[in-house]
Amino acid sequence: MREQVVTSVSATFLQVVEQLTFMFGEAADKGDILDVDCDYILAQMAFTGDVNGTLSLAVPSDCVAEIAANILGLEPEEMEASSMAPDSLGEMLNVICGHVIMAIAGKSADFGLGSPVIGPATPAFLAQAVEDSDWLGFLLEENLVLLGLVTE
Amino acid sequence: MAFNILLVDDSVTVRSVISKALHLAGVDINLLYQASNGQEALDILEAEWIDLVLCDISMPIMDGETLVAKMGENGMINTIPVVIVSSAGSEPRIQRLRDMGVRDYIQKPFTPERIREVVDSVMGVAKHA
Repeated sequence: MREQVVTSVSATFLQVVEQLTFMFGEAADKGDILDVDCDYILAQMAFTGDVNGTLSLAVPSDCVAEIAANILGLEPEEMEASSMAPDSLGEMLNVICGHVIMAIAGKSADFGLGSPVIGPATPAFLAQAVEDSDWLGFLLEENLVLLGLVTE
Repeated sequence: MAFNILLVDDSVTVRSVISKALHLAGVDINLLYQASNGQEALDILEAEWIDLVLCDISMPIMDGETLVAKMGENGMINTIPVVIVSSAGSEPRIQRLRDMGVRDYIQKPFTPERIREVVDSVMGVAKHA
């Protein structure tokens, strides 16, 4: 990613996550702190229109329930949050995606968002994401979160 | 006056959050219906009395733009206000939806206050003292 895009995407990601989940984050050096043995959940979403590509978000599985609980206004231990956690992660990606596209392409860009696809992220996938410049690292309340933006 | 409101979004999380926001904002609700896509929404609209539709854009089976178009074809858009609640709120798309009869747009993430503001405006509710 170009430096200007990185700055814009990072600021947008942190702002949306704070508004949506009330969790505070900061940019982080992904290579220094990624624990590839930790279970990660990967959410991916395609976008089409004036700008085409995919936005991906890899989150530690323990953190997914916390994100869901915060979005829903529940305690992480509450069952509803756990059962709805994948859906909540997909919704967080949906909101981030809309804002990121408008941040990089402008509000006049015409685009549509696909449905989020949620599944486990393999250690090999995470290791590759750490090496890939299309992926950014963030510390979200001590959890390393990875955000990948690929545009065509 | 209590409203019958239809929430249309494929995410159960969003439907839950909007439902909570409506209650937190003090919107007077009689019945709250939920649909996970445009087709389910049309089925409810044809069977039930609905005062207001809060609708996402991107959904499987039938998206929000198609739902609005269908409501335009059968005239429902003239009598049942539709508000789009979405994160894919590019200006061209919002203008296109307004041209099709959509009354207002709420960008995600939203606050209960924003929900209240739009519902009051669209439903013609007088502001509280």
